[in-house]
Amino acid sequence: MRVAEPWPTMAAPKVAMLTHNVLRNRAVELSEDERSILESAVAFTRAYPARQIVVRQDVPVDVSTLLVEGLMTRHVDAKDGRRHLVAIHVPGDFVDLHAYALKRLDHDVGALTNITVAVIPHAALQEVQLHHQHLTRRLWFLTMLDAASHRHWVVRLASLNAVQRVAHFLCEMHARLLAIGRCNAGRFELAMTQSDIGEVCGLSNVHVNRVLRQLREEGLCGVRSGQVRIHDLQGLATVGVFTPDYLYLNRPAALRAVGTPGDHHG
Amino acid sequence: MVDERRYLEPQKDAGRATAENGVVILEGPDGVAVTMTAEAADLTARSLHEAAQKVRDGDSAVPSEDDGNLEDPNRP
Repeated sequence: MRVAEPWPTMAAPKVAMLTHNVLRNRAVELSEDERSILESAVAFTRAYPARQIVVRQDVPVDVSTLLVEGLMTRHVDAKDGRRHLVAIHVPGDFVDLHAYALKRLDHDVGALTNITVAVIPHAALQEVQLHHQHLTRRLWFLTMLDAASHRHWVVRLASLNAVQRVAHFLCEMHARLLAIGRCNAGRFELAMTQSDIGEVCGLSNVHVNRVLRQLREEGLCGVRSGQVRIHDLQGLATVGVFTPDYLYLNRPAALRAVGTPGDHHG
Repeated sequence: MVDERRYLEPQKDAGRATAENGVVILEGPDGVAVTMTAEAADLTARSLHEAAQKVRDGDSAVPSEDDGNLEDPNRP
């Protein structure tokens, strides 16, 4: 990845579209008032092309980035040249809210696809912290979601075999995209190469290719041209030892995330 | 509440190596998932054979000054 020259900056819109997916269908959600407050904290939006770095490791930062459209990564480049994807972000994720407290990142943040982000100055977040305690707790919840996810990514790499890892990851992405309305009847867009999936799952391209073929031959799912189609969600979740507890979805979303019939949601 | 900690034990299940698209994939046990060249796989196989033979020969004792933590997993 290379440092990006971002595409043109736009003034933040006045309607609450930027924060629409923040905590959507999670165990706790934002009120409309809280969305408006967060929306007004946005200084501007910015677009970046795919595969470019948005925030570089160890550079002092005084803004945080909310992903509005596209997919982003947190990644660490190892000394041997390997890139380790340690997080994938979907719209509604506050990709570096932790920078508000840390003031620099111990990892890069990059655009996996073409993206649009909303940029919130830390000074505005400080105003939120001072005057809106409930919203501040919601933002804290967001960083706790991050921590929960990281814990499970560690366990996935430490204890699951190759097929389980990929199945688990696909189930997680399905659940997260389902929660923000980006999944339809088991189909969703996932603009990741086999190499990207390998970097998430600690597998070589060849190994990912074989695992995806195995999942397809077993009738569980198909991954082709950036599109995932899950044929048997319960079967895939069983293979991946996946339960969505750590995503803290609301109950209907959690049920749908593992293929259990439940209430429909937006 | 009892904290029933489970320690990693030596695996009794074997890993399985397969050839795929010009490389060797070693899977398992315990989440092992490694892709190797044929040469690296040969060397790994030889190293595994030699280590296994040492264990069977009783030639794998830990030097006495280093073995304290192996006796009691609850020791720091």
